[in-house]
Amino acid sequence: MIGLKGLLNVIDNTGALKVECINVLKVKTRLKSTGTATVGDEIVCVVNKARPIPANEVIKNPSSSSNIQKIRKGDVRRAVVVRVKKTVQRVDGSVVRFDDNAAVLLNNKGEMLGTRIVGPVAAELRKSKGGAAGAGGRWGKILMLAPKVV
Amino acid sequence: MRIEKCYFCSANVYPGHGTMFVRNDAKCFRFCSSKCHKNFKMKRNPRKVRWTKAFRRANGKEMVVDNVYEFEKRRNVPVRYDRELVATTLKAMERVAEIRAKREKAFWKNRMSGNTAKNAREAALSIEKHIELVQPKSKTTPNLEEKEKIREKIKVRAASRKLMAQQQIDKAGGASKKKKESRLIPAEGGMGMGMNVD
Repeated sequence: MIGLKGLLNVIDNTGALKVECINVLKVKTRLKSTGTATVGDEIVCVVNKARPIPANEVIKNPSSSSNIQKIRKGDVRRAVVVRVKKTVQRVDGSVVRFDDNAAVLLNNKGEMLGTRIVGPVAAELRKSKGGAAGAGGRWGKILMLAPKVV
Repeated sequence: MRIEKCYFCSANVYPGHGTMFVRNDAKCFRFCSSKCHKNFKMKRNPRKVRWTKAFRRANGKEMVVDNVYEFEKRRNVPVRYDRELVATTLKAMERVAEIRAKREKAFWKNRMSGNTAKNAREAALSIEKHIELVQPKSKTTPNLEEKEKIREKIKVRAASRKLMAQQQIDKAGGASKKKKESRLIPAEGGMGMGMNVD
């Protein structure tokens, strides 16, 4: 249940720590659409809190030679929700809830920005189809990198 | 599908029941009901909550060490499907449950065995303590003569009542002596149920 102003933890190594949802990328007027994001849904968010970039790194390579793009506070990015506090009902009847709301940052093409994920992600990510990876669905890479899929 | 155990009360969690909570260190907690989930959220220790299995086990209320519990365990070795094996397992499960029930009953009996003696001892102790409540009144009344009078009165009254009763019986004669018909007559000829057929 992530809507406008919803706060999420970022669990990848992009440097962002906390983001705020500013838009849920869903057709909200559709009959069965909730308009709120849950696991596997894409959102647009603004970075509220980020890990500070070391000063010497900025001086050394201002054009950022490393492939990980550093994220600063105030950046607007896309992200995918990977854990939610609200219960998620599964097809087999079980109900799962997590400790917090968490997301992974994406670039505008819908690919992961970071290269690592810490903490478990929900298995609902498997449901979304498409994507370049093909086999793992749209979020195949996230599922692959996550230490545990629950 | 697997029947899980509730993290809080150790009850069975059947498919479609209860909820699972996943902590950020990826540990899963399954709960049989919202009651257990709420207790968990209140950070209660299941070993200190009296209605949980953990408490009962920790406090000697239930059998803990026994061979019958060895059967119900999570095994990480996959077994190839075998029809006969399944049949024998099903049979064994029944038998194990039977033995388990028997042993648990014996354990319970053993646990409760000291209770009657203990209760009797406690009762005796309390009587001794509050003896003034159970003593007959005659003992507490000091005047012996008065007591004699009262007793005499009672005797007279009882005698007169007895006499009256005897007279009534005599008056009624044999009628009252007739045995009351039983309502439980065996249904021999289709009659019975206390019906008086002439």
